Amino acid sequence: MKAYQADIAKFEQTNTQVLGISVDSFAANRRFKEDIGATFPLLSDFKRKTVRDYGIYDEEGGYGTRATFTVDKEGVIRHVEQGKDAIDPTGAYQSCRAL
Amino acid sequence: MKRFSTAVPLLLGLSLCALTCQRATRSGGDSAGANTPAGAQTNSAAQQPSAPQTQLKVGDRAPDFELTDTEGQKVKLSDFRGKKNVVLAFYVLAFTGG
Repeated sequence: MKAYQADIAKFEQTNTQVLGISVDSFAANRRFKEDIGATFPLLSDFKRKTVRDYGIYDEEGGYGTRATFTVDKEGVIRHVEQGKDAIDPTGAYQSCRAL
Repeated sequence: MKRFSTAVPLLLGLSLCALTCQRATRSGGDSAGANTPAGAQTNSAAQQPSAPQTQLKVGDRAPDFELTDTEGQKVKLSDFRGKKNVVLAFYVLAFTGG
């Protein structure tokens, strides 16, 4: 998330809204947002519905795994990254530039 | 005397052999101990494939959602339709390095 914040101006230049999503509580997310100085929204999926809809919910661990999806203006997925690759925003940024 | 002179090297040889065997066993035990973390790594590596893999792919419609941000505002994915591209960055706070 820090890496996304560092690149937030680049995303804005490509007319892209970054949304951070986790299953953590509203309060934990707020603290985290302050800690990293995030200027983009951090959304709480505490009901685990969205992580399930996106197929990244680890039922055993009770958390959503790390993943990045780029969605274009028509609501169509244009880029998917999962796991460690999803930490680096470069792939997501490049996909936004190509849109 | 002759019998004694043959028995001494034989005994020495046997005790040397016993010592070597003992050391081998000990180092074997040590290496088994040292292997424990490696074994644990193997287990965690074995668990990785069981991590959920999204079935969503490029070209699919992104499932809509309505979630609350840290200010209590509802944010809907479909609100951005026709206006902005959206990057959904799913993260795990407990495991995050940032």
